[in-house]
Amino acid sequence: MQQNIKRSFAVLAVGAIATMLPVYGHHGTGVSYDASHPITMKGVVTEFHYANPHPQLYFDVTDDKGNVVHWGGEFYPNPAQLIQGGWGKRRSEAALPVGMHITITVSPSRAGTPVGAILKLLNDQGEVVMGVAGGVPGQPPPPEPPAGEQKQPEQK
Amino acid sequence: MMRITLVNLSVLLGAYLVCSSSALAQGGRGILAADPKNANRPYDKHDISGIWSRNGSPGGYGGGGTCRDCGDRGFSNDVPALTPLGQKMFDANKPSYGRNLGSADAAKHPEEAVGRRRAVPPASGSDPYQTCNPMGPSRALIYPDPLEMNVLSDKILQQFEWGNGVRTIWTDGRELPKDPDIPRWWGYSIGKWDGDTFVVTTTGADERTWVDHYGYPHSADMLLEERYRRTSYDVVELTMTITDPKIYTAPWKSETKKFRKLSKEGIKTVDGWAGLMEDICAPADDVDFFNKRIRDPAGGVVH
Repeated sequence: MQQNIKRSFAVLAVGAIATMLPVYGHHGTGVSYDASHPITMKGVVTEFHYANPHPQLYFDVTDDKGNVVHWGGEFYPNPAQLIQGGWGKRRSEAALPVGMHITITVSPSRAGTPVGAILKLLNDQGEVVMGVAGGVPGQPPPPEPPAGEQKQPEQK
Repeated sequence: MMRITLVNLSVLLGAYLVCSSSALAQGGRGILAADPKNANRPYDKHDISGIWSRNGSPGGYGGGGTCRDCGDRGFSNDVPALTPLGQKMFDANKPSYGRNLGSADAAKHPEEAVGRRRAVPPASGSDPYQTCNPMGPSRALIYPDPLEMNVLSDKILQQFEWGNGVRTIWTDGRELPKDPDIPRWWGYSIGKWDGDTFVVTTTGADERTWVDHYGYPHSADMLLEERYRRTSYDVVELTMTITDPKIYTAPWKSETKKFRKLSKEGIKTVDGWAGLMEDICAPADDVDFFNKRIRDPAGGVVH
């Protein structure tokens, strides 16, 4: 099923972003994701939930044949960590309204379900949202390093 | 392994600087390094009050792993042999931390205790923390988020940021209960000074809690000793020993865990409200929402 997901959507490998992100997952879900095979998709926001243990973004992805798959993604930073970077609830919600077109990179579920841990998130202007990509909030992300071995962010 | 190139190094350094400057802009204290201005700052070795954190994030209070030199999130890699009952309880616990069970990564690290090499997706795990149950004393102390020590005349209240947990350590001279009628999630704890070391002993901790996030068990008869030493203005060190002959064939001593001091003002919401975050594990968010819609589907369990 994992292969089906990859075939269904534009899949782009990204480099070892996770190795330099100052963000971490918790609640043990890191084991559920395949950090060595990140995928990048274009989607439309359907719902955003800013809460413990990790904020979640729900979005629709449409493939070349018009099939829509509803995805869920969890942010590795939790609210306490996002707050340290200035991404409080109101600012985050304002940045991710329903209908926003996004480009998102996730570590996908090992089970092949449309769920992932968000590694990078760009809005329709190409700006980093919620600091997810190691860049300055609201600015383009730093250049990606060459593809290499992925390291699972440390679990909280 | 990722090849180290100048490009990689420059990207890594750039990302680090960006993150550090972002944290400083928000008033973070920079817990990754001791503050040089405190190097010779006087302190009272018998004062362990205030906010202490093992968190490694730039501000020291949100998300992620432990701070540099603070010790990891396991009790200790040097685990005594388990008794038959201990082995049975250990096998029943299915943690989601450490190296993935059955993975090549796990196989490459035989030097690590088996508890650190058996992580399963939480959707098929049994971690009580996943459903907002209290972590119990040893696991909560190892957890990387801040802890506030409120020192009162007859007790110390340890308030743990994650879960908003509160544990009482009585300092009024009472003895531990010999055979408590009912276990408690945080156990029964007393504390007293032994020279410059604050010694806490605990018994009667509910055996549903784990020693650490690797799923090591304990019985309600466990005697947990914590020894706190303030070694500088910025640092409190903690070592723990578990004596639990029902579960372990010998006392189990922890590695040294370090806490770094945070000021109240070092923890702020985006609109400036200082002090510990209200980092509650609320079933309405964690269980009914996150677990059902993200955690479980990620592990192949779709509700």
